[in-house]
Amino acid sequence: MSERPEHKPALAGKATTEGSGIRLEPLPEGHLLHVMGAFDGDTLAESLTAAGLAKSAIQRAGYQQWYVTGDEILPPAQIALLADHLRGKGFVCDQSHGRIRIALSGFRALELLSQGTAVDLDPAAFPVGHSAVTLFGHISVQLTRTHATRFEFAALRSFAENLYDMLEHAALASA
Amino acid sequence: MASLISCPHCGVRPREEFTIRGDASLTRPAADAGGDAWYEYIYLRDNPRGRHKEYWHHSSGCRRWLIVERDTVTHAVHTVCDAALAKLGGAA
Repeated sequence: MSERPEHKPALAGKATTEGSGIRLEPLPEGHLLHVMGAFDGDTLAESLTAAGLAKSAIQRAGYQQWYVTGDEILPPAQIALLADHLRGKGFVCDQSHGRIRIALSGFRALELLSQGTAVDLDPAAFPVGHSAVTLFGHISVQLTRTHATRFEFAALRSFAENLYDMLEHAALASA
Repeated sequence: MASLISCPHCGVRPREEFTIRGDASLTRPAADAGGDAWYEYIYLRDNPRGRHKEYWHHSSGCRRWLIVERDTVTHAVHTVCDAALAKLGGAA
Protein backbone atom coordinates (compact mmCIF):
# COMPACT_ATOMS: atom_id res chain seq x y z
CA MET A 1 0.00 0.00 0.00
CA SER A 2 1.25 3.45 -0.88
CA GLU A 3 2.47 5.69 1.95
CA ARG A 4 0.73 8.67 0.43
CA PRO A 5 -3.07 8.90 0.40
CA GLU A 6 -4.55 8.50 -3.04
CA HIS A 7 -7.07 11.02 -4.33
CA LYS A 8 -10.46 9.38 -4.73
CA PRO A 9 -13.38 11.40 -6.10
CA ALA A 10 -16.03 11.86 -3.39
CA LEU A 11 -18.87 10.88 -5.73
CA ALA A 12 -16.94 8.21 -7.63
CA GLY A 13 -19.61 5.56 -7.19
CA LYS A 14 -22.47 7.80 -8.24
CA ALA A 15 -24.05 7.57 -11.66
CA THR A 16 -26.05 10.29 -13.37
CA THR A 17 -29.69 10.07 -12.33
CA GLU A 18 -32.38 10.87 -14.85
CA GLY A 19 -36.08 11.09 -14.17
CA SER A 20 -38.88 12.76 -16.02
CA GLY A 21 -37.91 16.41 -16.28
CA ILE A 22 -34.95 16.03 -13.93
CA ARG A 23 -31.28 15.19 -14.31
CA LEU A 24 -28.74 14.94 -11.49
CA GLU A 25 -25.04 14.51 -12.20
CA PRO A 26 -21.81 14.71 -10.23
CA LEU A 27 -19.46 17.21 -11.90
CA PRO A 28 -15.75 16.56 -12.48
CA GLU A 29 -13.49 17.45 -9.55
CA GLY A 30 -11.71 20.17 -11.52
CA HIS A 31 -10.89 23.38 -9.73
CA LEU A 32 -12.60 25.50 -7.12
CA LEU A 33 -10.66 28.52 -5.89
CA HIS A 34 -11.84 30.65 -2.98
CA VAL A 35 -10.98 34.29 -3.68
CA MET A 36 -11.26 37.05 -1.07
CA GLY A 37 -10.52 40.72 -1.60
CA ALA A 38 -11.73 44.31 -1.58
CA PHE A 39 -12.60 44.51 -5.29
CA ASP A 40 -15.59 43.75 -7.51
CA GLY A 41 -16.44 40.83 -9.78
CA ASP A 42 -15.25 42.69 -12.91
CA THR A 43 -11.75 43.17 -11.48
CA LEU A 44 -11.66 39.47 -10.65
CA ALA A 45 -12.77 38.58 -14.20
CA GLU A 46 -9.90 40.69 -15.59
CA SER A 47 -7.39 38.95 -13.32
CA LEU A 48 -8.75 35.55 -14.38
CA THR A 49 -8.30 36.43 -18.05
CA ALA A 50 -4.77 37.64 -17.34
CA ALA A 51 -4.00 34.35 -15.57
CA GLY A 52 -5.40 32.28 -18.47
CA LEU A 53 -8.55 31.29 -16.58
CA ALA A 54 -11.08 33.16 -18.72
CA LYS A 55 -13.20 30.01 -19.11
CA SER A 56 -13.67 29.52 -15.37
CA ALA A 57 -16.98 30.54 -13.82
CA ILE A 58 -17.18 33.18 -11.09
CA GLN A 59 -19.70 32.70 -8.30
CA ARG A 60 -20.28 35.23 -5.54
CA ALA A 61 -19.85 33.58 -2.16
CA GLY A 62 -20.68 36.38 0.26
CA TYR A 63 -19.33 39.87 0.90
CA GLN A 64 -16.04 40.32 -1.02
CA GLN A 65 -15.72 36.56 -1.55
CA TRP A 66 -15.99 34.47 -4.71
CA TYR A 67 -15.58 30.91 -5.93
CA VAL A 68 -13.83 30.39 -9.26
CA THR A 69 -14.85 27.02 -10.68
CA GLY A 70 -14.24 24.87 -13.73
CA ASP A 71 -13.90 21.27 -14.92
CA GLU A 72 -10.12 21.29 -15.51
CA ILE A 73 -7.55 20.41 -12.86
CA LEU A 74 -5.22 23.40 -12.53
CA PRO A 75 -1.46 23.08 -12.08
CA PRO A 76 -0.21 24.88 -8.94
CA ALA A 77 1.73 27.31 -11.16
CA GLN A 78 -1.47 28.65 -12.70
CA ILE A 79 -3.06 29.20 -9.30
CA ALA A 80 0.14 31.00 -8.26
CA LEU A 81 -0.17 33.17 -11.38
CA LEU A 82 -3.68 34.24 -10.36
CA ALA A 83 -2.44 34.93 -6.82
CA ASP A 84 0.31 37.12 -8.34
CA HIS A 85 -2.26 39.12 -10.32
CA LEU A 86 -4.30 39.72 -7.16
CA ARG A 87 -1.31 40.46 -4.92
CA GLY A 88 -1.90 43.48 -2.70
CA LYS A 89 -5.64 43.39 -3.40
CA GLY A 90 -6.84 39.91 -2.54
CA PHE A 91 -6.09 36.31 -1.71
CA VAL A 92 -6.60 32.96 -3.43
CA CYS A 93 -7.16 29.73 -1.53
CA ASP A 94 -7.33 26.49 -3.52
CA GLN A 95 -10.37 24.53 -2.32
CA SER A 96 -10.51 22.06 -5.21
CA HIS A 97 -10.00 19.19 -2.75
CA GLY A 98 -12.53 20.57 -0.27
CA ARG A 99 -15.69 21.23 -2.23
CA ILE A 100 -17.61 19.03 -4.63
CA ARG A 101 -19.89 20.25 -7.41
CA ILE A 102 -23.19 18.66 -8.42
CA ALA A 103 -25.43 19.71 -11.31
CA LEU A 104 -29.21 19.57 -11.29
CA SER A 105 -31.15 20.30 -14.47
CA GLY A 106 -34.51 19.85 -16.12
CA PHE A 107 -37.80 21.67 -16.06
CA ARG A 108 -38.64 20.17 -12.65
CA ALA A 109 -35.32 21.17 -11.04
CA LEU A 110 -36.90 24.28 -9.56
CA GLU A 111 -39.62 22.25 -7.88
CA LEU A 112 -37.04 19.92 -6.31
CA LEU A 113 -34.88 22.81 -5.12
CA SER A 114 -37.83 24.51 -3.46
CA GLN A 115 -38.15 21.46 -1.18
CA GLY A 116 -34.75 22.10 0.34
CA THR A 117 -33.88 25.77 0.23
CA ALA A 118 -35.66 28.99 1.18
CA VAL A 119 -33.88 31.16 -1.40
CA ASP A 120 -36.25 32.87 -3.82
CA LEU A 121 -35.47 31.09 -7.13
CA ASP A 122 -37.85 33.10 -9.29
CA PRO A 123 -35.92 34.07 -12.47
CA ALA A 124 -36.53 37.74 -11.66
CA ALA A 125 -34.84 37.43 -8.25
CA PHE A 126 -32.37 34.66 -9.12
CA PRO A 127 -31.36 35.10 -12.79
CA VAL A 128 -28.81 33.04 -14.76
CA GLY A 129 -25.35 33.58 -13.29
CA HIS A 130 -26.74 34.43 -9.86
CA SER A 131 -25.32 32.58 -6.89
CA ALA A 132 -26.19 32.22 -3.20
CA VAL A 133 -24.71 30.57 -0.13
CA THR A 134 -27.59 28.90 1.66
CA LEU A 135 -28.83 25.74 3.34
CA PHE A 136 -30.22 22.77 1.43
CA GLY A 137 -31.93 20.85 4.20
CA HIS A 138 -29.25 21.04 6.91
CA ILE A 139 -26.30 21.14 4.51
CA SER A 140 -24.55 24.41 3.70
CA VAL A 141 -24.25 24.82 -0.08
CA GLN A 142 -23.34 27.32 -2.74
CA LEU A 143 -26.23 27.33 -5.23
CA THR A 144 -25.78 28.83 -8.72
CA ARG A 145 -28.14 29.12 -11.67
CA THR A 146 -26.11 28.32 -14.80
CA HIS A 147 -29.03 28.19 -17.26
CA ALA A 148 -32.77 28.82 -16.99
CA THR A 149 -33.38 25.24 -15.81
CA ARG A 150 -29.88 24.21 -14.70
CA PHE A 151 -28.37 24.70 -11.26
CA GLU A 152 -25.04 23.86 -9.71
CA PHE A 153 -24.33 22.96 -6.10
CA ALA A 154 -20.95 23.24 -4.38
CA ALA A 155 -20.87 21.50 -1.02
CA LEU A 156 -18.15 20.54 1.44
CA ARG A 157 -16.54 17.27 0.38
CA SER A 158 -17.62 15.32 3.47
CA PHE A 159 -21.25 16.33 2.92
CA ALA A 160 -21.28 15.69 -0.85
CA GLU A 161 -22.39 12.05 -0.73
CA ASN A 162 -25.16 12.81 1.75
CA LEU A 163 -26.35 15.77 -0.35
CA TYR A 164 -26.24 13.66 -3.51
CA ASP A 165 -28.26 10.86 -1.88
CA MET A 166 -30.80 13.39 -0.66
CA LEU A 167 -31.16 14.96 -4.13
CA GLU A 168 -31.30 11.53 -5.79
CA HIS A 169 -34.01 10.39 -3.42
CA ALA A 170 -36.02 13.56 -4.04
CA ALA A 171 -35.53 13.30 -7.82
CA LEU A 172 -36.69 9.69 -7.97
CA ALA A 173 -39.55 10.22 -5.51
CA SER A 174 -41.02 12.96 -7.66
CA ALA A 175 -40.40 11.14 -10.96
CA MET B 1 -38.86 35.94 16.88
CA ALA B 2 -39.55 36.81 13.27
CA SER B 3 -38.86 33.91 10.92
CA LEU B 4 -37.19 36.03 8.24
CA ILE B 5 -34.10 38.25 8.48
CA SER B 6 -33.13 40.51 5.61
CA CYS B 7 -29.35 40.14 5.28
CA PRO B 8 -27.74 43.23 3.68
CA HIS B 9 -25.54 40.93 1.54
CA CYS B 10 -27.83 37.97 0.75
CA GLY B 11 -31.41 39.30 0.88
CA VAL B 12 -34.32 37.78 2.79
CA ARG B 13 -33.41 34.46 4.43
CA PRO B 14 -35.01 32.20 7.04
CA ARG B 15 -33.64 32.55 10.55
CA GLU B 16 -32.46 28.91 10.49
CA GLU B 17 -29.48 30.20 8.49
CA PHE B 18 -28.46 32.51 11.34
CA THR B 19 -26.91 32.06 14.79
CA ILE B 20 -27.62 34.53 17.57
CA ARG B 21 -24.90 35.88 19.83
CA GLY B 22 -26.86 38.36 21.94
CA ASP B 23 -27.04 42.00 23.04
CA ALA B 24 -25.18 44.35 20.67
CA SER B 25 -25.19 47.31 23.06
CA LEU B 26 -22.69 45.90 25.59
CA THR B 27 -19.40 47.73 25.92
CA ARG B 28 -16.35 45.76 26.93
CA PRO B 29 -14.89 47.17 30.19
CA ALA B 30 -11.26 48.29 30.46
CA ALA B 31 -8.86 45.51 31.40
CA ASP B 32 -8.41 46.97 34.91
CA ALA B 33 -12.10 47.85 35.44
CA GLY B 34 -12.47 45.56 38.43
CA GLY B 35 -14.41 42.41 39.22
CA ASP B 36 -17.88 43.91 39.43
CA ALA B 37 -17.73 45.54 35.99
CA TRP B 38 -16.43 42.34 34.41
CA TYR B 39 -18.99 40.20 36.23
CA GLU B 40 -21.75 42.42 34.87
CA TYR B 41 -20.33 42.38 31.32
CA ILE B 42 -19.97 38.61 31.22
CA TYR B 43 -22.98 37.31 33.17
CA LEU B 44 -25.71 39.91 33.68
CA ARG B 45 -28.23 40.52 30.92
CA ASP B 46 -31.39 42.60 30.67
CA ASN B 47 -34.57 41.06 29.35
CA PRO B 48 -35.80 44.04 27.34
CA ARG B 49 -39.35 44.62 26.16
CA GLY B 50 -39.60 46.36 22.82
CA ARG B 51 -36.83 47.35 20.43
CA HIS B 52 -33.55 45.56 21.01
CA LYS B 53 -30.26 45.36 19.09
CA GLU B 54 -28.55 41.98 18.83
CA TYR B 55 -25.58 40.42 17.08
CA TRP B 56 -26.54 37.67 14.62
CA HIS B 57 -24.13 35.63 12.52
CA HIS B 58 -25.22 34.60 9.02
CA SER B 59 -23.51 31.28 9.62
CA SER B 60 -25.10 29.38 6.72
CA GLY B 61 -24.94 32.27 4.28
CA CYS B 62 -22.35 35.01 3.80
CA ARG B 63 -20.79 34.30 7.24
CA ARG B 64 -20.90 37.99 8.18
CA TRP B 65 -21.77 39.34 11.63
CA LEU B 66 -24.90 41.48 11.52
CA ILE B 67 -26.62 43.85 13.95
CA VAL B 68 -30.34 43.10 13.92
CA GLU B 69 -32.72 45.56 15.56
CA ARG B 70 -35.91 43.73 16.42
CA ASP B 71 -38.94 44.14 18.62
CA THR B 72 -39.24 41.51 21.35
CA VAL B 73 -43.00 42.14 21.64
CA THR B 74 -44.18 42.30 18.03
CA HIS B 75 -41.34 40.15 16.56
CA ALA B 76 -40.87 42.76 13.82
CA VAL B 77 -37.34 43.18 12.47
CA HIS B 78 -36.66 46.90 12.04
CA THR B 79 -33.13 47.25 10.72
CA VAL B 80 -30.29 44.90 9.79
CA CYS B 81 -26.75 46.10 9.11
CA ASP B 82 -23.30 44.60 8.77
CA ALA B 83 -21.60 44.82 12.18
CA ALA B 84 -18.03 45.25 10.92
CA LEU B 85 -18.97 47.87 8.32
CA ALA B 86 -21.09 49.74 10.86
CA LYS B 87 -18.09 49.83 13.22
CA LEU B 88 -15.93 51.22 10.42
CA GLY B 89 -18.53 53.89 9.78
CA GLY B 90 -19.51 52.58 6.36
CA ALA B 91 -22.94 51.61 5.13
CA ALA B 92 -23.70 47.94 4.62
